[in-house]
Amino acid sequence: MSDPSSINGGCAVAMVGKDCIAIACDLRLGNQSLSLANNFEKVFPFGDKTFLGLTGLASDVLTLKEDFRLKHNLYKLREEREIEPETLANLVSSSLYERRFGPYFVGPIVAGLHSKTNKPFICGFDLIGCIDFAKDFIVSGTASDQLYGMCESLYEPDLEPEDLFETISQALLNAVDRDALSGWGAVVYIVTKDKVVKRVLRTRQD
Amino acid sequence: MAGLSFDNYQRNQYICAKGHAQPKATSTGTTIVGCKFNGGVVIAADTRATAGNIVADKNCEKLHRLAPRIWCAGAGTAADTEMVTQLIALNLELHGMWNDRQPRVITALTMLKQHLFKYQGHLGAYLICAGVDPTGAHLMSVQAHGSTDIGEYQSLGSGSLAAMAVLETKWKPNMTRDEAVLLCAEAIESGIWNDLGSGSNVDVCVMEVGKDAELLRNYLTPNVRAPKERSYKFPRGTTAILRESIREIVDVEETVIEFNKPEAMEVDA
Amino acid sequence: MNGISVDINHLKKGEVSLGTSIMAVTYKDGVILGADSRTTTGTYIANRVTDKLTQIHDTIYCCRSGSAADTQAVADIVKYYLQMHASQLPPGETPTTKVAASVFQEICYTNKDGLTAGIICAGYDKKNKGSVYSIPIGGSIHQQEYAIAGSGSTFIYGWCDKNYKRDMERDECITFIKTALSEAIKWDGSSGGVVRMVLLTEKGVERLIFYPDEYQA
Repeated sequence: MSDPSSINGGCAVAMVGKDCIAIACDLRLGNQSLSLANNFEKVFPFGDKTFLGLTGLASDVLTLKEDFRLKHNLYKLREEREIEPETLANLVSSSLYERRFGPYFVGPIVAGLHSKTNKPFICGFDLIGCIDFAKDFIVSGTASDQLYGMCESLYEPDLEPEDLFETISQALLNAVDRDALSGWGAVVYIVTKDKVVKRVLRTRQD
Repeated sequence: MAGLSFDNYQRNQYICAKGHAQPKATSTGTTIVGCKFNGGVVIAADTRATAGNIVADKNCEKLHRLAPRIWCAGAGTAADTEMVTQLIALNLELHGMWNDRQPRVITALTMLKQHLFKYQGHLGAYLICAGVDPTGAHLMSVQAHGSTDIGEYQSLGSGSLAAMAVLETKWKPNMTRDEAVLLCAEAIESGIWNDLGSGSNVDVCVMEVGKDAELLRNYLTPNVRAPKERSYKFPRGTTAILRESIREIVDVEETVIEFNKPEAMEVDA
Repeated sequence: MNGISVDINHLKKGEVSLGTSIMAVTYKDGVILGADSRTTTGTYIANRVTDKLTQIHDTIYCCRSGSAADTQAVADIVKYYLQMHASQLPPGETPTTKVAASVFQEICYTNKDGLTAGIICAGYDKKNKGSVYSIPIGGSIHQQEYAIAGSGSTFIYGWCDKNYKRDMERDECITFIKTALSEAIKWDGSSGGVVRMVLLTEKGVERLIFYPDEYQA
């Protein structure tokens, strides 16, 4: 039988472009092979230009989303400023490692721009909080093997926001088409220094 | 809040009992080495992180700073090596401030071994710990269960056998700094080529007595990917969109405008 | 099941072990400890020049066998206790070997379910001269004129029993230990490397090392 992180299915991917980042996910929520919903977003905003993607066991995805929303709100109250992506990454890491011997079955990714310098930042985690700092792209979820393949071939550095959108969208779309547990719609966020564009993609519905 | 939480442990055991397997954590199937030389010590590591048979990170950092002049190379469960290292680095910093002294390598090692022993091997951290302090240069290793070894040269991780083969044939006493760096790099390269769990580049850290530690990140890069001859860039508009929403980020600037500003006082007259 | 049995053969998965040949022998001037230098993880030799003779106090040492992590942790604790104990003694007095051995025994017995540690504690003190205490797995304590332990010791029980003599001369005792350990190393796969010795006498500590080409001759 499958492991808990691939019961509900779903995947997410983030990429770095020229002074911008993109983060995307599919919309499927399932129970093994039975699809339940096509509106299950796995990318959540934390402030203007920082995003957290959460794949894995859906119950843990929702629990952690709320947990990090709480921690993010407390951070804003205490610091009177927005959380930086690097800071969120360390918050995610230590929160996950706190559960070292009883982990949440998730594969988080963080993507964002620094609030002042607008420097792009992306990273990924394993389920117990080991940070994977990457300069190019980060993948996660049941289609991660396929996403690795797509990203390794399609990705190139310093893409303009519009080109980055096409690259991340095609990478995600073609990856989820080869994963039975992912798909059923997709959303992409393109983040630049003065604009966040959210696009819902047209995808296969099988 | 402090310490580890075991809240999900029972739930996860229940899930496992239902026949689900535990997901894999990132492990640094690794080659790490260390070697002493005249007046210092050097450690080195490869840069591949794996999750099962997938390469999770092609250029990760396995050399961790415990103190400015004490560094350690980690193998085993990636999260454990990172976190255990951060925790000991923090405690060393506090220890150093409290005693108003530079931390010693043996102190770092003792903290590590006592912490790991407490967890009875459940923290999968295998470390080569090295550094310079007022008592000289030191090189030691710690296993996950809390046992330690001392030696002139060490290797750990899945590629340790390949690396040890190089160290055993080419190591000699009283080496110079450059000889030691070269030996360590060669031992790591042996792991990169001959061990599937190790790969990509070689990171080196040199610690010389009386000098600041020198991290040589990507000292060797024998696996540079050939640049793509053609671009896979898609023409804009390739991807079909259902909906689009745009959120403009505008800066709100506050300017204080004072009313009834009194006239500047006349000084003369 | 009698309810008090301990699985003496278990080691935690992947644990570093001291498949060992160790011994300690009293002689005319005091006591000599001897050990091989091999540390293994499964079939891999993790360290071929290990020092299994660990100082507990000025002239009290121990030989460690079993789990490397467990024995190091226990030795560190005993060392700490003896420092505290020594600081409470009148000036000029030092802890006795018996005290050290008793602390070992206490720790090994109370934690018998979690430890894989076979220890020989030997030392020199003014009152008792050289003395040897064996603390095998389970946490019992046995004072002996000489003690052998570790996986390699099984091969040399008979030889040691036949050739041991009371109050041997220094060189005679060194040869006794060297011969015994060289046989243990020869027959036991998980023992090997060099032979290390520590001599504890009125004069203090003396360390000796013997390389394979010498003791195998």
